[in-house]
Amino acid sequence: MAGVLARRDRALNPEETEALLREHLGEQVLGSVVEFGTFTCKLAPEGWVEAARLARDEPQLAYDLFDSLFGVDAREEGFDVVAVLYSTSTGNRLVLRTRVPGGRDAPRLASITEIYRGADWMERETYDMFGVVFDGHPGLEPRILTVENFEGWPLRKDFHLASRAAKPWPGVKEPAELDEDGNVIERVPEIGDAPGPYELDKAMAAQAKAVIEQERVEREERERKAAERAAKAAERQARKEAKARAAAEAAAAKAAAAEADADQQPASSDEEDGA
Amino acid sequence: MGVMDQVELPKPVRYVFNWGRKFSLWCFNFGLACCAIEFIAASTSRHDFIRLGVIPFAHGPRQADLLVVSGTLTDKMAPAVKRLYEEMPEPKYVISFGSCANCGGPYWDSYSVTKGVDQVIPVDVYVPGCPPRPEALLDGIITLQHMIQHESLPDRIAGRRQDAVTLGADAPLTLEGR
Ligand code: SF4
Repeated sequence: MAGVLARRDRALNPEETEALLREHLGEQVLGSVVEFGTFTCKLAPEGWVEAARLARDEPQLAYDLFDSLFGVDAREEGFDVVAVLYSTSTGNRLVLRTRVPGGRDAPRLASITEIYRGADWMERETYDMFGVVFDGHPGLEPRILTVENFEGWPLRKDFHLASRAAKPWPGVKEPAELDEDGNVIERVPEIGDAPGPYELDKAMAAQAKAVIEQERVEREERERKAAERAAKAAERQARKEAKARAAAEAAAAKAAAAEADADQQPASSDEEDGA
Repeated sequence: MGVMDQVELPKPVRYVFNWGRKFSLWCFNFGLACCAIEFIAASTSRHDFIRLGVIPFAHGPRQADLLVVSGTLTDKMAPAVKRLYEEMPEPKYVISFGSCANCGGPYWDSYSVTKGVDQVIPVDVYVPGCPPRPEALLDGIITLQHMIQHESLPDRIAGRRQDAVTLGADAPLTLEGR
């Protein structure tokens, strides 16, 4: 662990990390991928231990914290083993992944317990669940997660659940759907796919659209009615005003006429008087 | 227990004796999963089963009368439950709390979960639910106390147990009517 000098600001980025690993391991680095912000390096099984040692001891890498190790069922091709390493000095996380030689029948991989002591129980668990044998491990037996005399490797995809044989799944939907011939339907989701069952998502989207549409129609109707009411009210107002104006005009005319009459009346009476 | 587990006591004495026993159940919580949280909730101030005479967190199985298995029992854990149960002194009672302890619950098809604690040790009261509410545990305790009140100690020691009760099996869960 000597020389853990790398600092966060001098931490290598994924490309540099891969270049460094390639420089030391050459052909044994098979490729790499950055997914969800995690750098995964695919290795040939021969380079597995060496890569772990390098990751720990290379001062620029300094992956001093062993995070976890687990298996992945790769169906016909056998099993993958994945180790997650973390560097407390650079704050980087590195995922090492390798395809275990030996296929499904006799998967065997070299142990990294010599490098990371914490890998001990993780490798035992991987052995328990997938049956991957780790060469150089201080002791895989007795089984750590299952009962000691457990038979089979429960996390393998072809492991049969005894209870399922006696009783079918009671829920609405099978977790693994079967087609007519009884084979498991495999769905490989694409990135951007709906997270749920596609038809259901479509139906829900249609429903949501219908609701929005309905609301829009109702709103327009309301607005139209309000506008109509406003127009009617304005009309009524205008009519009222016109009436009032007409009345006022009529009154004014009447008053004027009366005044004229009054002017004329005394004159005529005078005339009468005079006559 | 001495002579008391040999001889049937006269009825009035037995009544008083059982009354005393049922209100001082020292409880050993075998908390294995989420249900243990509900057990703890039942033991704290809001539900407070000490008012029913159940004293939680006995120092160990050797000081306990009541074993509450709350949570998911795995095959790996089953020998431990068996062993702790056997360490408890007679007369001892078991409440199976939650679907997992009753029958495996949501993990009924799992490769590692024991399909009910009754496969390992005898159970007196089953409390269904995933998880059951603390009130359901109180109900289970009252049911158990009812059983204790009406039992004969020599019978119990000799292994002639009463039939186990499953709460809610014949009527909805309720604190009334017991
Ligand atoms: S019954 Fe439900 S809540 Fe209780 S332990 Fe099992 S899964 Fe958890």
